[in-house]
Amino acid sequence: MARATAEALDRQHLPAKNLAPVKRLPNAPTRPARRVAVPKSTKAWQTRAANIALAWLLPVALLGLWYIGTERGWLSEQVLPPPAFVYQTLGDLVSSGDLWLNASASLQRVVVGFLIGSALGVALGLAMGLSKTVEDYLLPTFNALVQIPVLGWMPFALLLFGIGEPLKYVLIAHAALVPVTLCTLQAFHEVPKRLLEVGRAYGFSQRQIVTDIVLPSAVAPIFTGLRLGFTKAWLSLVVVELLASSEGLGYLIAYSRQLFQLDLVMAAVVVVGTIGLLIDRGFEFIERRLNRGRPVKTGRLA
Amino acid sequence: MSATRPLTTQHVAQATVQPQDNGLRLENISKHFTSAGADTQLHVLDNVQLDIAPGEFITIVGASGCGKSTLLRLILGLDEAFDGRILLDDKPIRGTGLERGIVFQDHRLFPWLTVEQNVAVGLKNAPLSAAQKRETVREHIQLVGLQDFTESYPHQISGGMAQRVAIARGLVNRPSVLLLDEPFGALDALTRTRLQRELQHIWQQEKITMVHVTHDVDEAVYLGDRVVVMQPHPGRIRRIVDVDLPRPRNRSDARFIALRDDVLSDFAELS
Ligand SMILES: Nc1ncnc2c1ncn2[C@@H]1O[C@H](COP(=O)(O)OP(=O)(O)OP(=O)(O)O)[C@@H](O)[C@H]1O
Ligand SMILES: [Mg+2]
Repeated sequence: MARATAEALDRQHLPAKNLAPVKRLPNAPTRPARRVAVPKSTKAWQTRAANIALAWLLPVALLGLWYIGTERGWLSEQVLPPPAFVYQTLGDLVSSGDLWLNASASLQRVVVGFLIGSALGVALGLAMGLSKTVEDYLLPTFNALVQIPVLGWMPFALLLFGIGEPLKYVLIAHAALVPVTLCTLQAFHEVPKRLLEVGRAYGFSQRQIVTDIVLPSAVAPIFTGLRLGFTKAWLSLVVVELLASSEGLGYLIAYSRQLFQLDLVMAAVVVVGTIGLLIDRGFEFIERRLNRGRPVKTGRLA
Repeated sequence: MSATRPLTTQHVAQATVQPQDNGLRLENISKHFTSAGADTQLHVLDNVQLDIAPGEFITIVGASGCGKSTLLRLILGLDEAFDGRILLDDKPIRGTGLERGIVFQDHRLFPWLTVEQNVAVGLKNAPLSAAQKRETVREHIQLVGLQDFTESYPHQISGGMAQRVAIARGLVNRPSVLLLDEPFGALDALTRTRLQRELQHIWQQEKITMVHVTHDVDEAVYLGDRVVVMQPHPGRIRRIVDVDLPRPRNRSDARFIALRDDVLSDFAELS
C-alpha cells in the first residue's frame, strides 16, 4: 500500500529542476495542515467553575462546623470564639489601622529577607552548577548546615545580631536560601544531555550553551525553588516574630495570646494564611507563564 | 592539432581536484561500551571500514541495536572514545564541527523555542546576516510544509511534525556531510515519499555527502549510491550493495525490485 503510493508519487511528473546552485527551494506541493479558528466552547469555563467550587467545599464546611460548634457551645467561647466575633475583630483591626501596621512590618521583613536569601541562593546554586570544583568544595558543608533548623540558630543569632531587624532579615534569608540553592543546583544537574549534544552539534560556544540551553531549561526549576523559598521565609517570619519583635503579624499572635484574646489570634492567623496564599498564587501564575512553551508537567490518573 | 587544443573548463576542473575533496573515511572503527558497576563490556561496533566519496549518498540498513546510531555519533564527534580513525578530507575529525550536521533519531527540539526558533538554531553560528537567516529559515520551514506552525511550540505539534522540524534544522545550514538517523521514520507514506524526493533534490543541488540510516529497505535503495547492510553482535558491515540505477529511480523497475529483494534477503538470513 505504502509502496503503491510511493510509486504513484514517483511517476508524477516533476518539473525539470534547475540544478544550478540556487538556494531557493521548491514550495511544499502537498497541502499543509491549516489552522482554523474555532469559537471557544462554554464547556471550558463550566469545568473551571466546577473546579473552583470544589476547592471551596472544604473551607466552607469547616467554617460551618466552626459556626455550629460555637453556637451549640461544644467549646467555650474563650477557647474558640465564634466566626462572627472573629470577623468583627478583623474589621476592627482594619479600621484601627493596626492590621496595616503589623502586616506591612511583616511584609517588609519577609521581602527583604527573601530577596537577600534568594539572591544568595541563586548565586550559590549557579556557582555550584557551573563549576564542579565549587560544588565539591561547598555542597557537603552546605548540606550539613541546612540540617540545623531556624530555631537552632536563634540563640547564636541573638548574640551575633542582637534583637533588632538584622536578626529577622538574617533568619528569614537563611530560610529562603536553602531551597533556592538546592533547586538551582538541581536545575543544572538536570539539563537534558540530549539537548546539550544538539548545542555541540551546532557549534555552540561554552557561553551559548549556558545562555541558550542550560539557563532556559533551568528557569522553571529555579522558579519552583523561589516559590518554595518564599513559603519557608513566610513560615519562619512568623516564628521569628513570635519570639522577638514588637510589631508584625507574628507579634500580634503572640501578644493577643498573652492577653487571652483568642479572637485576635484567630484574626491574625487568617491574615497570615491569606497573605501567604495570595503570594503563593502569584508565584504559581508566573511559573505557569514561564512554562508556557513546555508540555504540561505531569499527567493525572483521574 | 589535437595536442594544441586548449583544455576545456571541464578538463581543468578534473585536473585540479581539490586536495580537501577526499571525502569521509572510516578506518577500523571499533566501539565498546563499559557499563558502570559491571565488568562486562558491550562490543557495539567491530572493525567498521568504509570510504565515502565526497557528495556520495550512503544509506545504512541493519537490525535494531546493531550500532547505526552509535556510528553516526562517532562521525559527528560527540563520542571520542573509540578505536580506529575517522578522517574527513584526510584530516582526523576532532569533536563536532559545523561542516558535519545531523538529524537525530529522536527529534531533540528545544521545548522552550517555537518551530521557527528551533530551525534557526541550525544557523546560530552561521556567517549570515539576520535577514538572510530569517529568509533561509522560512524557506526550510516551507520545505517541510510547516509554514502555518512557525509560532507553535514542540509540544503543540505531532511527532511527525517535530521530526520534520528537526529535518529542516539539519538541512538549514547546508553542512558538507549530513548524517540522518531514520529521519522519516515517524512520517506517513505520502510525506515520506515527498521528503525523500526533496532530500534527493537538495543532495543533487548542493553535493552534500549523505549518510542516511533507515529501516526502510525500499528507501535505502531509492536514495543510496551504495547501501551498507550492517549486522549485529557485534555491529559490523555485512555487505555493501552498489545501486547503479539512474535517478530519479523508479520503484517498480525490475532492477530496483531485484536489488531491494536482494538486500531484504540479507535480513531474512540474519533472523
Ligand atoms: N550510552 C550507551 N551506553 C551503553 N550502551 C549503549 C549506549 N548507547 C548505545 N548502547 C548500546 O549500543 C548498541 C547499539 O545502539 P544503537 O543506538 O547504535 O543502535 P541502532 O542500530 O541505532 O538501533 P535502532 O535501529 O534501534 O536505532 C545497543 O545494544 C545499545 O544498547
Ligand atoms: Mg538508532
